[in-house]
Amino acid sequence: MAKRQREFRILGMTPGEIAKEFFSSSTGKVAATLFIILVVVSIYALVVLPPNFASVWNNLKYWQLNPQYAPPAWIDSIIGPVYSPQLYINNYTYVVQQSNGVTYITITFTVDFKYDKPWNEIFIVVNNPAIYSMAQPPVLSMTVYRPDGSVLSLGPLPISRRVTILGVSSEVISQVNLFYYDKYHITGIVPTGSSATPYIFYTIDNGKLTPLKGTYNFRLVFYVFSQNSSSVINKKDLEIVFQGQIYGLMGTDNEGHDLWLGLLAGFPIDLAVGLVSALIIVVIAIIIGIVAGFYGGLVDEALMRLTDFVILLPAFPLLIVFSVLFRWSIWDAVLFLAIVSWGASARIIRAMIMQIRSAQYIESAVIAGASRMWILRNHILPQIIPYVLYLLVTNVPGAILTLAAINFLGLAGSEYPTWGMLLYYAEEFGALTSGYWWWVIPPGLLVAFVAVVFILTAMASEPVVNPRLRYG
Amino acid sequence: MGLARTLAVRAATLVILLFIVLFVISFALAGPASKILKDEIMMEAKSIIMSLMLHGHYNSTQIQQLQSQIITQLENAYGLNKPPAIRTLYIMYNMVVFNWGYSYFPSEYGNVGGGKVVDIILSALPGTILLDTFGILLSAFIGIEIGLRSALKYGSRSDRAVMYYAALSNGIPQWWLGIVMLLVFSFYLAQIHAPIYFPTGGIIGPKYYGLWLTNPIKVFMIPQALLDLLWHFTLPLITVLIINVGGWAYFARTVVLNISQEDFVTFAKIKGLPENHIVNRYILRPAAPSILTSIFITIPFIIFGGFLVTEMVFKWWGLGYVYNIAIVGSPVPDLPVVVALTYASTLLYIVIIFIMEIVYIMLDPRLRE
Repeated sequence: MAKRQREFRILGMTPGEIAKEFFSSSTGKVAATLFIILVVVSIYALVVLPPNFASVWNNLKYWQLNPQYAPPAWIDSIIGPVYSPQLYINNYTYVVQQSNGVTYITITFTVDFKYDKPWNEIFIVVNNPAIYSMAQPPVLSMTVYRPDGSVLSLGPLPISRRVTILGVSSEVISQVNLFYYDKYHITGIVPTGSSATPYIFYTIDNGKLTPLKGTYNFRLVFYVFSQNSSSVINKKDLEIVFQGQIYGLMGTDNEGHDLWLGLLAGFPIDLAVGLVSALIIVVIAIIIGIVAGFYGGLVDEALMRLTDFVILLPAFPLLIVFSVLFRWSIWDAVLFLAIVSWGASARIIRAMIMQIRSAQYIESAVIAGASRMWILRNHILPQIIPYVLYLLVTNVPGAILTLAAINFLGLAGSEYPTWGMLLYYAEEFGALTSGYWWWVIPPGLLVAFVAVVFILTAMASEPVVNPRLRYG
Repeated sequence: MGLARTLAVRAATLVILLFIVLFVISFALAGPASKILKDEIMMEAKSIIMSLMLHGHYNSTQIQQLQSQIITQLENAYGLNKPPAIRTLYIMYNMVVFNWGYSYFPSEYGNVGGGKVVDIILSALPGTILLDTFGILLSAFIGIEIGLRSALKYGSRSDRAVMYYAALSNGIPQWWLGIVMLLVFSFYLAQIHAPIYFPTGGIIGPKYYGLWLTNPIKVFMIPQALLDLLWHFTLPLITVLIINVGGWAYFARTVVLNISQEDFVTFAKIKGLPENHIVNRYILRPAAPSILTSIFITIPFIIFGGFLVTEMVFKWWGLGYVYNIAIVGSPVPDLPVVVALTYASTLLYIVIIFIMEIVYIMLDPRLRE
């Protein structure tokens, strides 16, 4: 008995032979490599992303310091230092003095500006509600020593919020305007409605606005009108952020979301969508196929009519209309898609069972007094299981592509960002008319990547399940 | 006689399918989804009240009365005061007699037939037919040609390349490739001031848009209009071809491979027949019906899958784009259009399937007799 166990064969091949057949083709090797990459990245995504990532993603405040519509940071290393990157200043000198009931906190740091496009904005973030919710809020004044020797004094600005935005305060705008007027006799350099921050880094050369490259020294003084120890802005509570024009590995979208995280989050959810839907499809197909193929007669006839119906259903238009009518979530859509997509798989399984059932050894087993369940377990299931695995793999890409398409229409969304939803927002916010390639290319490539991995796996396993296609 | 019976059974199946789809949509609309309808009625009532308040002199109680009156009237008009079963039948009846109601389509898309849903959908049909016919036939022709060649060189480097291409093109979302094409050949070509670049979408320039909506045949008569149409047609067609050729090639390859390992092919080889004789008479001829029928059978699935979304990307005035406008183009989903479109798609889909099955029967000699 033990010897027979070792000779376990599926479709006339031992598992070792199947693996050999699968890896004998280059498709199999490529598919296996890509599959490992896919699994590794998905696990990495699950580890890196916080468990509450969905709420983080939808919390717009979380992303407000990021630039909007910013290309990835690595483009500067390709086209040279053109766009200024996102800067988090944490290397600054920090001095606290107290006198006459006022606490002075002086911060100095230098910034090296060598880009063509200066920073959009400077944020002063105070992560301590006790500071910015004081009855008389602290005040900030800022002095910028520019590379050309000129000095720009900004402020005072009240620190009455967690995030103080430098360039939008009317105080700062008029100070920058005045600076340009005194120096170059130009009035109204800051256009109405835009931030004054970039103009800190400009000069007038031959009557034209040009970036003034070099080292900038910043000196920030916070006046806190109290002398308690609690009124000191601790170093760890204070962040100074220069909002750049490029951001991160994959850039940002209209809300300043870090697209790299959004793309990572797509891995687990897209895999889950594809696998769950394929699993449901295969389970339904097995049940229908076995019942139809095994019982035959009227049951078979009825089930095959049902299968015909399901195959003929126009799944995509129905998915659209139901998603609109019932405001479906992505999981509702997955369930619906699975329920209308099992037809073809059920037909294949039924055909296989019909073929096996008419074999001589089944007849012998019946004569020997074997029960139906025994035949099912010992003769039929072992033969169809490799096919079932094959069907599982072939059903995954369809589900992923359909779900991406329906998400692209802005339907069947989820809290978690999916690649289809990223593309929907990209289209909505003019990625095509403004050329935001970093927002459009990666999500689609990833959808294609996951689908192709499963298609290649299916292709490589085809010679295993279809002996005619074996080489040699 | 047998043939007629087969076709009759098939037709009956398809009609039943149509009715099931119709019933499910109508029931959904009448029952669980009636809340959306109520919301829309509220919105409509509010907008009427707003205009009344702007132009007339009413006090608040009068306004209250008017509002409830309008809501009741609208609910009666939509049949919301009837029980769901009656409402379902009512919606079904209206669908079947093509009384699809009025849309609230934004007027910038061209006001077809004064917003009658039937006219909007009819005006979208030629675009869909144009793109789908050319896209499917051309891609099938090219793909099968490639597939045959690669199957005859089974295992060679070019055969492998075809396999990878097929896998890749099956995995890439067609609509996303459309976005990339637009980005490259419309946006970036225009940015670098290339001598020729493609439009950002649309089916035809604004000059002939009205003509296309009312009389598309006439567009083909005017040379400039036809050129304009072709200019708009290039990118969608290329997108569709790139994606669909691979699938056909892979399919044709599999069919030919299966046949070329049949015993009669081996026997012909043993007989020493010349190579192209074997290919033409012993492989291609038996492969032809199965390839052709599969083309016909898969057409509806292709049309009502990726093609719909591709139309949206290219703003190609067809069923898919109308779907898109109805879903995201207005603040609330344009229910009459969405529902009617689903019904119209199903109807079209069933008609195509039926025609394809007749062709299938005509092609397969075993079924003909």
